Amino acid sequence: MKFLLSVILIALLAMGAEHFLPWWSVAVVSFLVSVLISQKPGRAFLSGFCGIGIFWLITALRHDVANDHILSTRMAALFHLPNYGLFIGVTVLIGGLVGGLSAWAGALMRSRA
Amino acid sequence: MNQPVKRKSPFRGVGLLVITTILVYVLNKPMGGLPAIGGLLDPVSGCLANAEPVNKNFSADLKFPVKQNATVWFDDRMVPHIHAANDHDLYFLEGYIHASFRLWQMDMETRAAAGRVSEVVGEKALNFDRRQRRKGMIYAAENSLRVMEADPRTKLIGDAYTEGINSYISSLCYRDYPLEYKLMGFAPEKWTNLKSALLLKYMADDLTGGTDDIALTYLRDVLPKEEFELLYPKRISGATPAIPAGTVFDKPSLAIPAAPPDSIAFPHFKATDFGEKREDGKGSNNWAISGARTASGAPILCNDPHLGLNLPSLWYEVQMQTPAMNVYGVSLPGTPGVVIGFNDSLSWGFTNNYRDVKDFYLIKPVADNKNRYWFAGKQLDFNKRVEHILVKGKPEIIDTIDYTIHGPVTYEAQNAKDGSLRKPLAMCWMGHRGTNEMLAIYLMNKAKSYPEFVDAIMNFQCPAQNMVYADRQGNIAMWGQGQFVNQWKDQGRYVMDGSDSATLWGQLIPMRENPHVLNPGQGYLCSANQATTDSSYPYNYTNSGWVDFRAWRINELLKNMPKATINDMFRMQNDTHSLLAETVLPVMLKYSKDLKGDNIDVLKKWDYNLESESKAAVIFQLWWKSLYRNVWQGKFGNVPDDLLPLPERTMQLMLNDTLARVLYGDKAGVLSYSDYFQALVVSSYNEVFDSSEKLKTPWYKVKNTTVTHLTKIAAFSYDHLKTGGWGNTINAMKGDHGPSWRMVVQMGKEIEAYGVYPGGQSGNPGSKYYADFLEKWAEGKYNKLEFLPNSDKQSDSAVKYVWNVHG
Repeated sequence: MKFLLSVILIALLAMGAEHFLPWWSVAVVSFLVSVLISQKPGRAFLSGFCGIGIFWLITALRHDVANDHILSTRMAALFHLPNYGLFIGVTVLIGGLVGGLSAWAGALMRSRA
Repeated sequence: MNQPVKRKSPFRGVGLLVITTILVYVLNKPMGGLPAIGGLLDPVSGCLANAEPVNKNFSADLKFPVKQNATVWFDDRMVPHIHAANDHDLYFLEGYIHASFRLWQMDMETRAAAGRVSEVVGEKALNFDRRQRRKGMIYAAENSLRVMEADPRTKLIGDAYTEGINSYISSLCYRDYPLEYKLMGFAPEKWTNLKSALLLKYMADDLTGGTDDIALTYLRDVLPKEEFELLYPKRISGATPAIPAGTVFDKPSLAIPAAPPDSIAFPHFKATDFGEKREDGKGSNNWAISGARTASGAPILCNDPHLGLNLPSLWYEVQMQTPAMNVYGVSLPGTPGVVIGFNDSLSWGFTNNYRDVKDFYLIKPVADNKNRYWFAGKQLDFNKRVEHILVKGKPEIIDTIDYTIHGPVTYEAQNAKDGSLRKPLAMCWMGHRGTNEMLAIYLMNKAKSYPEFVDAIMNFQCPAQNMVYADRQGNIAMWGQGQFVNQWKDQGRYVMDGSDSATLWGQLIPMRENPHVLNPGQGYLCSANQATTDSSYPYNYTNSGWVDFRAWRINELLKNMPKATINDMFRMQNDTHSLLAETVLPVMLKYSKDLKGDNIDVLKKWDYNLESESKAAVIFQLWWKSLYRNVWQGKFGNVPDDLLPLPERTMQLMLNDTLARVLYGDKAGVLSYSDYFQALVVSSYNEVFDSSEKLKTPWYKVKNTTVTHLTKIAAFSYDHLKTGGWGNTINAMKGDHGPSWRMVVQMGKEIEAYGVYPGGQSGNPGSKYYADFLEKWAEGKYNKLEFLPNSDKQSDSAVKYVWNVHG
């Protein structure tokens, strides 16, 4: 329950934060949420990863599908990736990693307190 | 009491926090040539924010500082048709629209003009920036800005245009920046009228940038006089000038100045600089046919300016209406108005004129004072202009440029690269002067008749253009237009001695005395970068790059076309017939009877068309290239191509034994000229076709026409486009140069217009409108141009989106 709550909270708050702040606000959000909601560090990482990953995945897909993959195909070529799917994958992975690590750090900070 | 069994190290949390912070920091920092990855990948504000929905509805109600309500209709190709009640609102909207679709490109082009590229890409552009500064580009734009702002008309439209661009820029946050800003990691800056002036100078430099002066100075010294004139004739025999031979010119109002003795005028070089390359067949075509020679009875005007092929395209299609004007054509994002196009009365097109407007002067510095130089027996101070070049990630570079009475010292000993001229040369360029092409464009757009058009182009000073004209009243005309100097014979053909006052630029020729013709007897007019006039034009002038193949071909086709149709024009603009091949290949084959094989058989059956799929075209082009090089290498040694006599001249000399006599003069008697020549033709062939793999490939793959994004990013560019032609055919499709805009307009009761350019209306690589004209362009097909009636309501079915603009 806590896990699901964390994921949803991280995703929603990150969405709100990115409306006003640069991309790295997703790290701050993940960190703060897992300071507030106590979870084991492993689960915290996963909730941060999923929270930001899902948020970025949905946002990316929304743009990309409406765009017929024109841009993602070009960006994939720019990064020497074989197809646009992989480009979206890398995007989600980076977002997830940042979210996950921040949440993990948050959980450890909480267990310190 | 819940006592933890094991105490965790408090540093674990801090350690991870540090690691996470470092990761975020790294992702947020551009590294090497790479952008900050985090911000770029962020799907909210990063590159994916530039993924434009393919079914985006562009319609909007917009509030702007306009004086009256206005409307913009976008058709299904995203061409805006702007209807405004006054000039301010019209040019405001044009600026806003240019910025909305092409902002990054406008920014980069004006940065390139000003030598401010290092500021955003770093040290690698430093040499480029330095060159731009030394050419005096900012100095030139500042001079023009003063003239533009002194005229109330250009002040008004220039200000409104700038205001429109800035209104768009100030509405942006990072998320909305064009993709390239995110990739390169910089932000748009405020537009200024100076930037619009810079863009016009950028075009002037592009079109009058090349020069033969330095090369010719050297050649004139090393070749016997007779031979020099034979190989480098001022006017090629059989030329078909833009203003047809037989046109009667008015008596000149100025006396033609006498030339000073050669010994005073021209210095001599040994070391040489051949930095600026002559591109074989770079240029443009335009022609007009009078109604007497068209099937419809209405005049037809055609234009295809050949420029660098880039994305976002240089051109942007637009229609602009006020109660006093209704004009359609292509604009240059970064400057107001329509540059090439037509209005409800008349149409016009440009080709480069190539009459020389840029000269070089050898500066004689005072021996022990680097602040002074000699002029007319006196010591003069250099005007020092300090240029600050900002370099991304490095300290600012300060370059002091010496300005002389002639212009900036562009070449200098300490800046000379290997093999370039180690003497100070000052550049005297018409483009340095304050000129107001913006006014010319504005007045042209509004012109209702031939006299009004002529009045308008009197403001078009640099770059000099051959302007073709056709109107609905049935007139056709051609002007070799620009501001020129009343030269003495050969003035400026070679580098001049800058210390003698006799070499100074003299009076300006009144622009109404520029070569022109209205409704010539032959019923058609054509310019394709050939000589402007025959030798009966009273004023002296030199050229910087005339070529003739396309002009010969166009004239030949038009002469034999008594009832021209629009379809004929499409075919002509896409004509790939090589006059060079038609003329020299029979000679080459005659001299190589011993050569046998498939290649030779293919050539014998060839129709001389450089079609995209043709293999004969490949064989001929490679063989000719090898022969041309070998012919002149024996004569001049290993010199760059731009020093060699033109292919046109080489061809002419080859048709009899003149060429062999020039090449083998001193060996005559041992073997006949033709024996020597035969050996050369055969060895040139064998050089190329010994081990050539290219033979299996069709012509388009060999020449590889590319349309490259300005960043050179391959993922945003297109290569190996399936196109025929070459620089010397009407369809002048080369590697990275080609027809940048093809236009055909029939000026009848109803105006019928077609056009296409290699790109699309949007500069955004994430838009479906980014390169959607490219395929049509490569295939030689056209878009029908929707010329909407001048009205505040439109019922045309092509209208797709509407901006309702309120004050």
